[in-house]
Amino acid sequence: MADSYLGVRLDILRRSQNPDGGWSYYNGKQSWLEPTFYGALALHGDPAADRAWSLVKSWQRPDGSWPPTAGASVSGWGAALCLTLARVRGEVDGTYLKGLAYLLKTVGTESEIWRRALAKFGLVDPGRNLSLKGWPWNQGTSSWVEPTAHSLIALKKTFALLPAPELTERIRSGEALLLDVRCKDGGWNYGSAWALGEDQRSYPETTALALLGLQGRPEAGSSVDLAKRWLPETPSSLARAWITIALRLHGVTVPDTTSPSKGPGSPDLMVVALEALGSPDGNYGFLKTEKA
Amino acid sequence: MKIKRRDFFPLAGAGLLAGYAGWEGARSRRNSSASPSPVVVLKASSYSDDLAQRILQGVRECGLDVRGQKVLLKPNLVEFDPNTCINTDVSVVAAAYEVFRALGAAEVMIGEGPGHRRDTYSLVEMARYREISKFDDLFVDLNRDDVSPVEKFADRAEMYFPNTALRADLVVSLAKMKTHHWAGATLAMKNFFGLVPGSVYGWPKNELHHIGIPESIVELNRIFRRSFGIVDGIVGMEGNGPIQGTPKPAGVLVMGSDLAAVDATCCRIMGIDPAKIEYLRMAADGELGNVEESRIEQRGEKVSEVRTNFALIDSFRGLRLS
Repeated sequence: MADSYLGVRLDILRRSQNPDGGWSYYNGKQSWLEPTFYGALALHGDPAADRAWSLVKSWQRPDGSWPPTAGASVSGWGAALCLTLARVRGEVDGTYLKGLAYLLKTVGTESEIWRRALAKFGLVDPGRNLSLKGWPWNQGTSSWVEPTAHSLIALKKTFALLPAPELTERIRSGEALLLDVRCKDGGWNYGSAWALGEDQRSYPETTALALLGLQGRPEAGSSVDLAKRWLPETPSSLARAWITIALRLHGVTVPDTTSPSKGPGSPDLMVVALEALGSPDGNYGFLKTEKA
Repeated sequence: MKIKRRDFFPLAGAGLLAGYAGWEGARSRRNSSASPSPVVVLKASSYSDDLAQRILQGVRECGLDVRGQKVLLKPNLVEFDPNTCINTDVSVVAAAYEVFRALGAAEVMIGEGPGHRRDTYSLVEMARYREISKFDDLFVDLNRDDVSPVEKFADRAEMYFPNTALRADLVVSLAKMKTHHWAGATLAMKNFFGLVPGSVYGWPKNELHHIGIPESIVELNRIFRRSFGIVDGIVGMEGNGPIQGTPKPAGVLVMGSDLAAVDATCCRIMGIDPAKIEYLRMAADGELGNVEESRIEQRGEKVSEVRTNFALIDSFRGLRLS
């Protein structure tokens, strides 16, 4: 195991865990929520993952939000990651419910009434349906594909436990938003599919994330085909790892390109964690959601 | 093709550097708008030209002394498309690295935080930056560096920035000469968007759009005032920049310690009226730098001799310099 593709990566993660229990993006730096989330999922069941969860839990703010790193005054998309991690760990408690309440009240600013009114009267062309509610990176900013996808995963995993109407509404709206901003080729840009009169190009990494958010939606089919084509082509280790996980969760048999001699494709520890998650015997199933 | 170190550093050897070392230049500080700002425009027709020699000349003529300083080179690395020219060319980055090392900087790092692509190292690879000798030891992904807060950024109480940038004595904006579909032009000042960490503000750094692009550009340049600009206009981008435009050879490198003056000069070269670029108006009003032609001490080539109008999208036709 220790010498396998997965084992090599898990070993790197164990050795690179910071003393506070978190992971940095690059060795020797401060702990961040995002790589800690992926590291804890990859090492689920290991004491290292327990230490990571203790750290993450301690970062929660009174309003239920999480900062991207210890003490930062910015709140936003990290709540979705923490809810998913808590759900995987079966830690559905006060921390979880506060985080859920925060996530449910967080909306991208583009759906504010006055912006929708401007669009309705043709004064602006936002290139998307502003009645659909997604999630921003940070409070007070617009919705983007990535935080919306992560929020959908968190809410769908919650819905299996707590099938409340508020969850249904946000899940439906968030999914519809992702489908609304899908690019012509079937993939996703970081935001809208169209801006300033130009179609926007799609990217492998955002397409993979959108597919994670759209698990269970039959409309995702053509995009799955695009992701399959991209997998061998994309030069980005990060994008390949995300695509691999997304395809596996959409039931696609991914060619096994893993080999013990194949080291991580990047010095980025988040990529190491994602490669571990996406390996055939990795924990990618923790990101699986049921149809809400 | 592998780029070799010597390809980037065809300087005239120790004599040239010794001559520079004896020259008493000003410290690396932004010129106040009270005195004219020197801006150097040098011709470079291709990326195989002797760029290190030209950058050295520009640094000398601006009176920049980097001896003993920690220098951060901040290229513009946004996206990769083999059919166009979005990023600061690798040869400009490599030449700048060699020049600042040779001029006695205590440390020269290269750092960038791309605005929307998540995988910085993949971009670095595709833009061929890894062909720079020992690149991995020099490079910092500014999107994922350790961060510290800085008080007051426009209407925000604080803003987080990468420690590598905050600790630098000098940030060198290695920008690309491009039109920009929101700001009109993206040059040395706008390039500082890459100093804002994605790990805090996301991909893209939407917080800056909500604060306002001109306001954010000015605030970033207020915070990182110890700066120097080198704009790669050898092949710029016109039309729907900064990503979807088309290559536009302008054949110049533009340099200076007053980034507003550098950008205003670039605008004039591009056939854009800098007085109509909002962030430059704000920079001038806020005494961040000089924008008026009469307040810029032009060195090297005359703007009129290198001016080449960059195509503008319809909504920016009014920016054209008469």
